[in-house]
Amino acid sequence: MGWAAFVGLWAFSSSFILDEFTLPGPVKVWRAIWEILKSGAFFNDFGASISKTFIGFGIAALVGVPIGFLMGRTRYWKAFFHDGVVGAGSVPGIVYAIMALVIFGIGFQGPVVAVGLISMPFIALNVAEGLEGVDNDLLRMSTAYGRTERQTLRHILIPSMLPFVFAGVRLSFAIAWKVEALTEVFGSSNGVGFQIRFAFQGFSITRVLAWTLMFIAFLLVIERALAILERRLFRWRTWEQAA
Amino acid sequence: MSTATTADGKRYRRSPLRQALTSTWGARLTSYVAFAIVWQLLAWYVDRVPGPWETLDFIWREVSGGSHGGVRPGEFWEHFSATLVRFSIGLMIGFVLGTVVGIALGSSAFMRALLSDMLLVFLALPAIIWAFLTTMWFGLGWEAPVYTVILSAAPFVAVNVAQGVRSVSPDLHRMSQAYGVPRNRQIRGLLLPAVTGYLFTGLRFAVIISWNAVLLAEWFGAVDGVGWRARLWYDAARYRGFVGWAIIFIAFIFLLDGLVLSPLQRRAFRWRESAASGDEGLGGFDAEELASIGS
Repeated sequence: MGWAAFVGLWAFSSSFILDEFTLPGPVKVWRAIWEILKSGAFFNDFGASISKTFIGFGIAALVGVPIGFLMGRTRYWKAFFHDGVVGAGSVPGIVYAIMALVIFGIGFQGPVVAVGLISMPFIALNVAEGLEGVDNDLLRMSTAYGRTERQTLRHILIPSMLPFVFAGVRLSFAIAWKVEALTEVFGSSNGVGFQIRFAFQGFSITRVLAWTLMFIAFLLVIERALAILERRLFRWRTWEQAA
Repeated sequence: MSTATTADGKRYRRSPLRQALTSTWGARLTSYVAFAIVWQLLAWYVDRVPGPWETLDFIWREVSGGSHGGVRPGEFWEHFSATLVRFSIGLMIGFVLGTVVGIALGSSAFMRALLSDMLLVFLALPAIIWAFLTTMWFGLGWEAPVYTVILSAAPFVAVNVAQGVRSVSPDLHRMSQAYGVPRNRQIRGLLLPAVTGYLFTGLRFAVIISWNAVLLAEWFGAVDGVGWRARLWYDAARYRGFVGWAIIFIAFIFLLDGLVLSPLQRRAFRWRESAASGDEGLGGFDAEELASIGS
């Protein structure tokens, strides 16, 4: 019913309050979406944007996990990284987008680095939080029984860290996706953001709306999927929390 | 903790320098120095990145009104105040609008069913889309930034207010009805205390989001203001100007949040024991809050 109300209100305001040019109706936008799907631009540009986002996430994890690890384990490094990590997480997206453009030009690296910078703090903070929650008795017991560092890492620290890494990725996905598109708006030669910019410069409100709707639909679907995946993968944790 | 014990039980004094360096403040200071060094190195290796001194020098000239690059002195405040006015007007309207929608969402199941999907879409819409649409609708001028701010701020206020309204204990509500407590006392004693904290949380999110939004909208759809000014330097390929302005708007939002909004939010929530989470967190934010802010 909610979706029906949304489309209904949209159609109503496009045909009665405003006009077709100012706010193209759902039918017109749907036709534009259909055309984008048919022309193959959808797969090209979404593919480009998705791969940039994923590589950015990969870098964020490679940098964020060790930082989070240090932050969770020692007081010194927590104090050291704290301001930088929080700062990096709350800088307005526009700053990253343009800095990436200035440094890397309109290539592939700009969006990747922007995604990496904006999602790294979430992963680092989550890992730190996860490690602080590790049962200290378990760690002391494994030292007492002469387990090596490696064994402790493999069997205690990493398993308790993983769910938090995943949560970090899930939490930051929406932001990363938006910043990725924003970076492409400012400078790129393909991707969803590039297409939105292209439609804006061609003054086509219909095409801006069409790309935006696909952009949002993708975001909502991935978020839902990640939430389901998280519940599946870390189901073993529920009894632990309940206990 | 000036003394520590070694493994074999001997006590020794740490040198004061070492103590200072390993303290929390020492670590923070070290991180800032490290940041400046990394920045300087980056500036040396990449031509297009201006160094820290250059940038600070730019900021000083821009703010103090010294003429540089053929620009009139004193233009800084004109642009800054233009942006602040748009930002405040948009925020106020967005806040009122969001509050009204939030109360409707929180208090009626019908409205929830009707509006929650729409709200989801509005929350997911990046500010850049509003900046583009409003620029196409209104052209260059003050309208695009103001409407962009309204449209980006309102959904976040609405979500938080709705949550606040729903957090009112239904038992207390029913009890106050059973005892015939007059309506205005119900609002004052029951609804307001529950909602105020959420209202401030919503306001805080809205401020941070709208600040990003106003800059984007000015970049594309205005002929003055902070965002336009940053674009001017960017288009002139004077990157120290852009970086300087970036620092100015980051500093502004950090100061506003740290000195005004975060204390207000804590104050509004102080009656709730559970909200006083021991570790004062990360500049007041935890990862989850940061995530819901988005860009």
